[in-house]
Amino acid sequence: MKWLKLLRTFKEGGVNFYRNGSLTFVTVTVLTVSLFAISMALLLLYIANMVMIEAQNRVNISVYFKSAVEESRILEVKSKLEEYDEIKYVKYISKDQALEELVSYSTKNETIKKALDEVEENPLNSLLVIGAKSPDQYARITEAVNSSFFSEDVSNINFYDNEENIRRISNVILMTKKAGLIFGAIFVLIGILITFNTIKLTIYSHKQEFEVMRLVGASNLYIRMPFIFEGIFYGLVSGLIVVVLLFGASYLISPLTDGNIPQGNALKVFWGHIWIILGGVFGAGILLGMVSSFIAIRRYLKV
Amino acid sequence: MIKFENVSKIYPGNFAALENIDLVIEDGEFVSIVGQSGAGKSTIFKLITAEELPTEGEVIFNDKSVKSIKRRHLPYFRRNIGMIFQDFKLLPQKTAFENVAYALEVAGYTNEEIAEKVPEILDIVGMGSKAEKYPRQLSGGEQQKISIARALVHNPHVILADEPSGNLDPISTWEIMQLLLKINSLGTTVLLATHNKETVDKLRKRVIGIENGKVIRDDKTGKYII
Repeated sequence: MKWLKLLRTFKEGGVNFYRNGSLTFVTVTVLTVSLFAISMALLLLYIANMVMIEAQNRVNISVYFKSAVEESRILEVKSKLEEYDEIKYVKYISKDQALEELVSYSTKNETIKKALDEVEENPLNSLLVIGAKSPDQYARITEAVNSSFFSEDVSNINFYDNEENIRRISNVILMTKKAGLIFGAIFVLIGILITFNTIKLTIYSHKQEFEVMRLVGASNLYIRMPFIFEGIFYGLVSGLIVVVLLFGASYLISPLTDGNIPQGNALKVFWGHIWIILGGVFGAGILLGMVSSFIAIRRYLKV
Repeated sequence: MIKFENVSKIYPGNFAALENIDLVIEDGEFVSIVGQSGAGKSTIFKLITAEELPTEGEVIFNDKSVKSIKRRHLPYFRRNIGMIFQDFKLLPQKTAFENVAYALEVAGYTNEEIAEKVPEILDIVGMGSKAEKYPRQLSGGEQQKISIARALVHNPHVILADEPSGNLDPISTWEIMQLLLKINSLGTTVLLATHNKETVDKLRKRVIGIENGKVIRDDKTGKYII
C-alpha cells in the first residue's frame, strides 16, 4: 500500500509538472537562473583562486652567495633552510648552471652575448632560490637569512627588488578570497530566496485544491508528496540546463584562462571536476526544489 | 447515524453560528436543511466532517464522538462521507475520470479496482462519455455530476450536499435532485443544505429549518417554510 501510494504521488508530481505548463516554465527558469548564478560565482571564485595560486607559485626570492663561498657550504645552508616550516622549496643553482642559463638566454639577446664574450671568467654567483608557502612570509624569511649564521656569505637577496610586487600579490590574493566569499554568499542567499518564493507562489495557486483533497479523504502526506516530487523535477530539469550552461561558460572563458591556472584552462577545470559539478548542481537543485516545496506547502495543511 | 447533542458553535467575536442544536439523523434518511444564507447550514456540515469542532456539546457519527478523532485519523474518518459543493470543487488539472479516481487513490484502492469502479459510477451519473474531459470543458451541471460521482465512488455512509444546485439552471437542478434521490434509495444517508424552495417542496422528504443558528422546525415530510 505504501509503495502504491508512493508510486501514485510520484506519477502525480510528474503529471502536474507537465500539465502546469507556464507555471512550470517560470519556476524552472527562476531555479535555473539562481543555480547558474550560484555555480558561476563558485566556478569563478575557484578559477580566480587557481590563477592566484599559480601566480603565487611563480613568486620566489633568490639569495646570491659571494663567489668565494664553497658549494658544500651553500648546500649546508640549503638543508638548514629546508627545515623551516614557512619554506616550501629551496633550489640550488651553481654559478655554472647560472651561466649556462644566461648563455642559452643570450642567444636571443645580442647585448648580453657581447658582454659575456668580453668577460672571460664566469662573473655570476651561486644562488639559492627560495619559495615560501605564502607570499606574505618572504619578508620574514629575508630577515631570518640576514640575521643567520651564514649572513656573512650572502652577497645579495633580491627580495628588496621584488618587495613591492610580492606585497601586492599577497594583498590581491587576500582581497579576492574575501570578495569571492562575500559575493558567493550573497548569490547563494538571493538564489535560495527567489527560488523559495517562486515555488511558494506555485503552491499558492493550488491552495484551494488542498481543501478539496483533504475533504475527499487524502492524508496530509498524500497531498504533500506530489508537490515534493514536483520540486524534485524542477531541480532535475534546472540542474540539467545549468550543467549545459556551465559547460558553455567554461568553453567561452577558456581562452582567457589558458596557461594561467595549474589545470591549463577553464574547460579542463570543468571536465576535471565534472562529478563534483554534476553532484553539486543536481544536489543543490533538487534540495532547493524539494525543501522549498516542503516548507511552502506546510502552511496550507493545518486542518 | 448522526447525532447533535446540545451543540453550539461560537466563533471569535462572540458570534454564535449554532446554538443548542439537538438533532438525530437516522441511517438511510434524506434530510433537507433549509435556511437563509448565514443561518448555520454550512456550519452543521463542517461539524460533521470535523473541519470545525463544536464549542459546546457533542457531534456523534456512527456512535463515535467526532471530537475524539485524532488529527491523523481524520483522513480515514472523512472517507465515510461524500461531499458535494455549490462550486463543485473539482481539481482543475485532472480529467473527469481522474477527479473521481482521486477519491479512491487516496484511500489506497488498487488500480484494477479503480479501473472497474470509476467508469461504473460515471455511467450512473450519466457522464460516461465525458470521462476524459477537463472540468473547464464541462457545463456547470456536468461538473456537478462529476462531483457527485466523486462523492459516491467509495460508498460513503453519508452524502453531504451543500447547495449543490446553487449555480445551476432549473433543469440541471432537477437532474441533480433525481440523482440524490437515487443514491438515497440505494441506502445512503443524504443531507442536503439548500435555500431553493421549489426543490424542497418537490422532494417531500424531512425538512429541518434553521434560523440564526437555531432549529426552528423539523417536519417529517415538510415544505420550505421559514
